[in-house]
Amino acid sequence: MFYSPVRTNASEAEKNEKLHLFKYVEDPQQKNVETFESRNGYSAWKKVLSSMSAEQVIEEVKSSGLRGRGGAGFPTGLKWSFVPKDSPKARYLCCNADESEPGTCKDRVIMERDPHAIIEGMAIASYAIGCHLMFIYIRGEFGECIRSMERAAQEARDRGHLGKNIYGSGYDLDIIVHSGGGAYICGEERALLNSLEGERGMSRIRPPFPAIEGLYACPTIVNNVESLATVPHIINRGASWYSSMGTEKSSGTKVFSLSGHVNNPGNYEVELGFSLKKLIFDPAYGGGMKDGKQLKGVIPGGASTPFLTPDMIDVNLDYESLASVGSMLGSGAVIVFNEDTCIVWTILKLIHFFRHESCGKCTPCREGTGWLEQVVRRIEMGQGEQGDIEKIEDVCGNIFGRTICPLGDAAVMPIQSAIKHWRDEWQYHIDHGSCKVKSEFSFQ
Amino acid sequence: MQGKVGVFVSIGIVMAEQVKKEQAVSGVPMVTATIDGREVTVPKGTTVLEAAREMGIHIPTFCWHPKLKSVGACRMCYVEIERMPKLQVSCATEVMEGMVIQTASEQVLQGRKAVIEFILLNHPLDCPTCDKGGECDLQNHTFAHAVDDSRYSFKKARYTDGTDGTTFDDKRLGPEIVLNRNRCILCYKCVRANKEAFGEYDLGVYERGNIAEINSAPGHEVDNPFSGNLVEICPVGALTNSDWRYKIRVWLTQTTSSICNMTSSGSNILFYKEKNHNKIYRVTSRMNDSIDDGWLPDVSRYGYQIATTEERLKTPLIKKDGKQVEATWDEAMTVIHNRFTEIAEKKGKVCLGGLASPYLDNDSLHSFNKLFRTVFKSNNIDFRSDYRMLPEGADSPYEMLVDQPFTIADIDDSDLIISFGSDLIREHPNEYLRMRKAYNFKRAKVVSINPYAVKSADIAELEVIHSIGRAETVLNGICLAAMEMGLVNNQDLTGKIAPATTAEAASDAGVTEDDLKEVARAISSAKKISFICGEMVSRSIARDTIASALWNLYLLFGFKDKGQMAILPRYANSRGAGSLGLLPSPSDGLRNTLSGLWGCFPESDPNNTDAMLALMRKEEISGFFIIGANPLMLYPDRQFVTDGLERLDFLVACDLFETDTTELADVVLPLSSWAEYDGDYVNLEGKVQHARQAIKPLYQSKPAYEIITMVAEKFGAPLFESIEACRKEVDELLSMTHSTKFPSQFLEVKPCYEDAEEEYPTPLLICDDPHHCGHRTEKSQSLSNFVSEAYIEMSPEKAEKLAVKDGESVRVESPVGKIVVPVRISDCIDNNVVLIPRNFASTQVTSLLMRKRRLDRVKITKVDE
Ligand SMILES: Cc1cc2nc3c(=O)[nH]c(=O)nc-3n(C[C@H](O)[C@H](O)[C@H](O)COP(=O)(O)O)c2cc1C
Ligand code: SF4
Ligand code: SF4
Ligand code: FES
Repeated sequence: MFYSPVRTNASEAEKNEKLHLFKYVEDPQQKNVETFESRNGYSAWKKVLSSMSAEQVIEEVKSSGLRGRGGAGFPTGLKWSFVPKDSPKARYLCCNADESEPGTCKDRVIMERDPHAIIEGMAIASYAIGCHLMFIYIRGEFGECIRSMERAAQEARDRGHLGKNIYGSGYDLDIIVHSGGGAYICGEERALLNSLEGERGMSRIRPPFPAIEGLYACPTIVNNVESLATVPHIINRGASWYSSMGTEKSSGTKVFSLSGHVNNPGNYEVELGFSLKKLIFDPAYGGGMKDGKQLKGVIPGGASTPFLTPDMIDVNLDYESLASVGSMLGSGAVIVFNEDTCIVWTILKLIHFFRHESCGKCTPCREGTGWLEQVVRRIEMGQGEQGDIEKIEDVCGNIFGRTICPLGDAAVMPIQSAIKHWRDEWQYHIDHGSCKVKSEFSFQ
Repeated sequence: MQGKVGVFVSIGIVMAEQVKKEQAVSGVPMVTATIDGREVTVPKGTTVLEAAREMGIHIPTFCWHPKLKSVGACRMCYVEIERMPKLQVSCATEVMEGMVIQTASEQVLQGRKAVIEFILLNHPLDCPTCDKGGECDLQNHTFAHAVDDSRYSFKKARYTDGTDGTTFDDKRLGPEIVLNRNRCILCYKCVRANKEAFGEYDLGVYERGNIAEINSAPGHEVDNPFSGNLVEICPVGALTNSDWRYKIRVWLTQTTSSICNMTSSGSNILFYKEKNHNKIYRVTSRMNDSIDDGWLPDVSRYGYQIATTEERLKTPLIKKDGKQVEATWDEAMTVIHNRFTEIAEKKGKVCLGGLASPYLDNDSLHSFNKLFRTVFKSNNIDFRSDYRMLPEGADSPYEMLVDQPFTIADIDDSDLIISFGSDLIREHPNEYLRMRKAYNFKRAKVVSINPYAVKSADIAELEVIHSIGRAETVLNGICLAAMEMGLVNNQDLTGKIAPATTAEAASDAGVTEDDLKEVARAISSAKKISFICGEMVSRSIARDTIASALWNLYLLFGFKDKGQMAILPRYANSRGAGSLGLLPSPSDGLRNTLSGLWGCFPESDPNNTDAMLALMRKEEISGFFIIGANPLMLYPDRQFVTDGLERLDFLVACDLFETDTTELADVVLPLSSWAEYDGDYVNLEGKVQHARQAIKPLYQSKPAYEIITMVAEKFGAPLFESIEACRKEVDELLSMTHSTKFPSQFLEVKPCYEDAEEEYPTPLLICDDPHHCGHRTEKSQSLSNFVSEAYIEMSPEKAEKLAVKDGESVRVESPVGKIVVPVRISDCIDNNVVLIPRNFASTQVTSLLMRKRRLDRVKITKVDE
């Protein structure tokens, strides 16, 4: 039932040409600094320190078209350029390694198996924004990741990749590996900053944006692990190499975490624009539906993105294409459901998660998710009442777009789409007090 | 549509341009927006909510507080802004040029209703038994939005682990505060205010999502000295206090505007009394941005209970055969008249003296002054009963610094705030909150220079802890550092101060040279400074030396042009008493005005509190009149005071209740509290504020003014034709152009150190407990719920050395006295000193003190049970 953490199934040529994030993750030696260095590791960092200005780095990343892989897909280079150049304050970089979006398990692999790639990417990003102390905020449950990153950080210091006057350039940089506060919301960047400061992991209103006033009220950039691990490759191979991959607006490659009722669940690094259908059914990737069952639906971008139905899966995995069918790329967690899945049960699982993970700061998310869970549970338990579906829709409407952080939206979008696509199933639950599909799982 | 908006915007811009030009002078750019069809121009940075409020448009809120940072949590304050598809929270949205805002559109109202619906899901709706009913934001907004039904059909979530398993989850959070989590709407205002405004961490949020809850920090009580505010700002009945709980419904009360009588800032307060009864039920703030920002320290909130306590003196008492027995006012007046006359005839009139309390209003103080100067022809008069060995004369360096102008609101935009010789939270809580505010909102730099680690220094960028008794050396050191680093050009100071180098000063004062330099740099680079000096200067017999050193600093750095420096007065009307000339020898100007008003001014020797006590011991003062003061409890060296008072032929003492001092009196008169009569008070800024009478005088008590005029009449010398005549004189005195003096040249400062005696190694500081002030507040039930007995506060290391645990008793001995008190271990104090609060009569802490010592030193030993 568990994903196999790494599965690229790409040809050697493809690996050399394109795939960079997962190129070496299958090699247990990659996490050692010597091996990493022998494979061109830290060369981008050296190049940056010896021959590039901060502006040039930002420009390069901007023109590569790299977009944030943490969920929102914001152009990375552009984000960096928001850090005020003339601020007398310290600046900080925080690598967001709180990976807890249900279905997402890509950052973990990079941290465990290729930690130096992250450190190198973080270092380059730090240089670009003028930061001398960077943080990596790792999900608290990820013990192995924390140990791996700490070990790598020490190696990097020992080898002079971090520390004072790095490579004689006069640039100082160090890293703090921080074990997270143990909540999904701590992955949301403003909650992450609060948590890092020792406060409760709760989001903050914007403005001020973190790039202006973030950690300790200083300009701060928060980037996802995958976004940062990509950066050294862009520096080494050039922006045009990176933007030559993927689509026009979604350049480069992306790791998709495929899970659910497929034969080969796992992480796959593919070019953006890759076919979702191919990812699920191609023998080199998902290998089709488990036990020959029919596909019922797909969540394409992690638990907070709207469902796709089988007739919609002829879509490409990139930011625009998924948006055009009413969903999102999110963090790239593709969750596949077969015909036996009860949609009400699935939604109950999801809303239970979001209710449990709501930070409790703003009223609609805090109270609304609790109410939704109760109504959905009642329907799932066969005690639904006429009008419950409309009530759910209405409550979702009172949450959507009215909260501080996107968790509120994330909680309701899958529900809204599940009702839109499978309203009859919901209604059946209410009318008959039982499930239309032969569900494997049930609360009863 | 586009065109229309365009027109609107451009008109806005034209108007804004105009205003911008006007504002260019003050440097704040202005923006113009349209709210509900009306245009408004506000300084950039103003939120939509504030702008709307200014226009009289009310947007409902739960989590917003004018003095806290907006967090946008409750989502009640939604507005619709053109070209923004989603509803926006007005409390956290800044007005932008050309914005078109709707505060009551259909979408807005729908959004707010939805929020109310969400909040009410699990709300108990026990309004009939909830203390907030009638003044509850949730109740009001619910009615205003016509939410009268619920679509929620599940069992409401309940906390029942509070007391008895009912929905009344009354969880005691601290000595006063009770929390009902079922009513809490998680607006987080309490936790935010506690942390942000007060710097306290005894309250927090626990759990997450819809089971998130407010609670006290594990193992702690919510007992910080500002905790009463949490109850006041809670929008619902989740936080209540035992002061008000279940006593009365708010709509049965009437409010009276008054002034706090506990601190010298004169916080603005409201008394709540029942319409038909002569009883006060509570005090809340009455936000005055220039003074209190709407926050009340607990002493100001619960201090009113000194008026309502059962322990009030109910009738006059006359001592007969060594026992005080009840008497009528007439009898008391007759005895006073006869005895004072007798003494005066026997010894001459100057053998009478008087001591008034700086808590009294202007009318009372002025009439007391007039009684003494014109009827008793005596200059034996003072209002300062707790500062030992005060200097004579109004022009001493110390007096001049006490007299300096100081504006509380100016702390807000000071970029450097220095607290010197002051445990701010205990002495000047309001100014402490201002300092925090400047730090929070304007990133002001805070510097604390004190002989121990005061709590208010938690926000200090620089905390200089110097050896006790070396305050002037630190100041000299800062001046020396500035000269050595070339930060100032003026070198005239050289030679006037000792030691001669920063290095020596640093080592003498027990600080580092870097610290001194750092402070010098901070002062010289600051644009606007607030330099607050406190009780540790006033209480020290070296006050003139320290003040001289402060003056040097003032002159050297040119404070005149870049800030304010003052020794802040401590009591509600200290400043008034000084301005009205209630001193043995007022300044020449005051003296002239007074003799002009009265047609006379006595020529007799002026004697201050200490001198008067000394004269009593010599039996040269034999009749004494104390009104509101309690020298026995407050004046250093209790034995000295006792000896003096006991040797008197006749002592009249007036107070609210029996005190150590009234016990010795031949006639005791019941005094009314400030809530019981109209009075004016001068706060530390020199601002005159009016406190209105909330209730009629309780029992047979009388306001000081009435008592004093009765005495004068008994002597056949009425003081005023009417109270208006008295007020006219007061006004004249207060409106005298107050020329603040300062020295024209540097002053000589030669440190006066006092050697420690081996036998008494530990320096002792006497202070106020943060929940108390002076001798009266222990009679407030609520305040004594926080702290009701004295303690000796010491560092963990010190306690370990003495092998005592928190709460265990120690014997504290000085060369003149000895007391036994329990230990309180505190992280907020370091090894070199111990503190004992002076607010508790039973401890008689002044018996340890010697009036001619700079430092009080004691020996502490564990009491073996
Ligand atoms: C509820 C919530 C949880 C999130 N969790 C994560 C996370 O675990 N990891 C992550 O990188 N970004 C997460 N994000 C997105 C971050 O807020 C942020 O957008 C991201 O870290 C920015 O990095 P990027 O620009 O490199 O994508 C989350 C967002 C929300 C609203
Ligand atoms: S949307 Fe939810 S998680 Fe985000 S701030 Fe509001 S309550 Fe917290
Ligand atoms: S206790 Fe009161 S102030 Fe505190 S969060 Fe709850 S409702 Fe708000
Ligand atoms: S008052 Fe604006 S969100 Fe609470």
